[in-house]
Amino acid sequence: MSDETFAAGFMDDYFAECDEHLAAIRRLLLELGGAAASAGPAPRAAVDELFRSFHSLKGISGMVGLREAEALAHHLESFLRPLRDGGRALTDEGLDALVAGVDALEHVIASRRDQRAAPPIDAVVARLERASPTAAPVEAPAASAPPAPQWRITFAPSPALLARGVNVDTVRARLRDAGVILDAAPQIHGGSIAFEFAFAGALDEPTIALWREDGLRVEAAPEPLAADAASTLPAAEMATPVGPSHVVRVDLTRLDDLMRMIGELVITRARLDASLGRVEGHVPAAEWRAVQENTQVMERQLRDLREGVMRVRLVPVGEILRRVPFVVRDLTRDSGTRVRLELRGQDTEIDKFLIERMMDPVLHLVRNAVSHALETVDERVAAGKPPEGTLTLAASSIGDTVVLEIADDGRGIDEAAVVARARAMGLEVPDPPLDRGRLLELICAPGFSTRTDTDRASGRGVGMAVVKTTVEDLNGRMSLETTAGEGTRFVIELPLTLAITDALIAQVGDRTFAVPQAVVREVIELDPAALRRLERHEVAPFRGGTLPVLRLGEVFSVTPRPGRALHAFVVGAGADAIAVAVDRIVGQREIVVRSLDDALIQVPGVAGATDLGDGRAVLILDLPALARHRAASLRRSMEAAS
Amino acid sequence: MHRTLVVDDSPTMRRMVMASLREVCSGGFAEAASGLEACEQLALGPVSLMVLDLNMPDMHGLEVLAFVRRHPTLKTLPVIVLTTRGDAESRTAALGAGASVYMTKPFTPQALAAQVRELVAQP
Repeated sequence: MSDETFAAGFMDDYFAECDEHLAAIRRLLLELGGAAASAGPAPRAAVDELFRSFHSLKGISGMVGLREAEALAHHLESFLRPLRDGGRALTDEGLDALVAGVDALEHVIASRRDQRAAPPIDAVVARLERASPTAAPVEAPAASAPPAPQWRITFAPSPALLARGVNVDTVRARLRDAGVILDAAPQIHGGSIAFEFAFAGALDEPTIALWREDGLRVEAAPEPLAADAASTLPAAEMATPVGPSHVVRVDLTRLDDLMRMIGELVITRARLDASLGRVEGHVPAAEWRAVQENTQVMERQLRDLREGVMRVRLVPVGEILRRVPFVVRDLTRDSGTRVRLELRGQDTEIDKFLIERMMDPVLHLVRNAVSHALETVDERVAAGKPPEGTLTLAASSIGDTVVLEIADDGRGIDEAAVVARARAMGLEVPDPPLDRGRLLELICAPGFSTRTDTDRASGRGVGMAVVKTTVEDLNGRMSLETTAGEGTRFVIELPLTLAITDALIAQVGDRTFAVPQAVVREVIELDPAALRRLERHEVAPFRGGTLPVLRLGEVFSVTPRPGRALHAFVVGAGADAIAVAVDRIVGQREIVVRSLDDALIQVPGVAGATDLGDGRAVLILDLPALARHRAASLRRSMEAAS
Repeated sequence: MHRTLVVDDSPTMRRMVMASLREVCSGGFAEAASGLEACEQLALGPVSLMVLDLNMPDMHGLEVLAFVRRHPTLKTLPVIVLTTRGDAESRTAALGAGASVYMTKPFTPQALAAQVRELVAQP
């Protein structure tokens, strides 16, 4: 086996571990940035952890033969050494060099992932060498004396305890939650090995009893504790998090396979349900109930299984947000703006695939906010606003939907300028004020920009048009709020996952359709007699206003069944809301989404197909797309009419 | 042959080591991501060989090695110190602390397997 084939078998592991280290490095650089700003010594624990990450990256990059990454990681490590060993302060210049080095490292790794040639690294390496911290050591603030140990806690690992989840890492985590570990060291007692922790913290009787039950020996610390310097570890090193040894890495495609298999199970179960329905009359009632109960239990278990697999794919949204401070720092450096960044809901979990797709759009919105929306300090003071602009990034999840918000308190979108620019591009636009949906549509038009100069933020990959397409490709929704002089807020809503979903089953004539439930705001009943015509469109009275109505039968050229009432799904919010009318709604089902990849059957408004268990293929409707399509055409008629 | 204990804070590196030794180490593997975890594995069951990284969180590889050599039965355990190249001072330190073999990363699977064969064959 050649070294190349050996390394090739580990590339997925390599990239996954690089991602973990790079994410940790970003977090640690932020911490160092805070220290550099206050001109204090770099925090020891952060430097140590950073050092170890570079060291690991150097090791594994060497193993896969990625020389540029190995060299960069080596130089980054060397750069940190004086900080670690000499207590030197990190200068602004040093921090910039460090950030540039990390950027380069990330690019080198990404280039291997995309099978491109690695970018040159000489300039970055030279910059790191120039900025190497050589200034005199900073006087460290007098460290507060560590607390005196109150307890000596001994843990002797055993297979029995391990089976109960009690191991050195969980014991350590438990102690850390309850107080401060001052020292931890393995000890030899006869031939057996035990860990001894010197611990400070308030322990109550129930806690002590619980710990003893889990095999820990808890004793008051002897006075004074023997300070055996050679065998003890500095307390700072004890603060490192538990190693990733209980984490399993899984290739995303394997999870997709699992999801597909679960999808097949869901369909088989639906088939079973259908066949059971046919034999119902032929089986004694008592037996029948037992069968029925079993299939219901199976349905619930299948749902749990599906949710379990879905959860495995989720990662905290903080992974996207972590880059934002660097982008902001970069953009504000010489711009005369000052920005306070507020990150909220970083723990919100979102599908790994969605995160990767949303990274560039989110960064684009951030760049726009910092370089276009937020005013300079002078402008803000003149306008009576606080000198520092605020950029808020928030993530939250509501049911099966993840909501991302990017908001600033800047100058707001200049409607007049947008309208003028749109008209110059040959778009037909009514006079302001425009509703927010229309305004968003304009700024997302391909090629749209109100800036004529090329500033730092332009030409960096994606424009608003791409932001919009990405969100729509992910079956998401974007909305806009903006007020002149007060600020702008973009809200992006995304479905949590795409493969299996809850749907409402509806019928028009003899056709059956499935509608993903997450996009439906409301189900209403319409009185056909109350509908009015406006040009080619129908509108229905709704909560004191009107709601455009789209008859699904017309879209798919199906003759509806004559009936007294129509049922409709309300989709979209505010000015974009629309009612999609059907004959009747049959029920709610869990459906497996199969995309229609064939270009010949790519139809706007159709998200895919599913099998409800009776063998017939049923179309899954993309109601938001239908609604957008219809809303645009309706708006044209209304604008023409006014 | 008992288990081979692979100690490294990088999971990728541990898998590379295990892949290199799959045919040589018949007793299976145990893994540890830190020095303390390594000591725990030594307490939990018999080990025939340890492949040990040096630069690790919460207990340096050299401390693990010193601990092993203080233990009444583990003191004869074959230990391969496998560390990232460029840490010049550590060869002397590792051999001084009782490493059976000192190797640097990047390594080739063949070289590592050959070292282990040689160690295991010793009486």
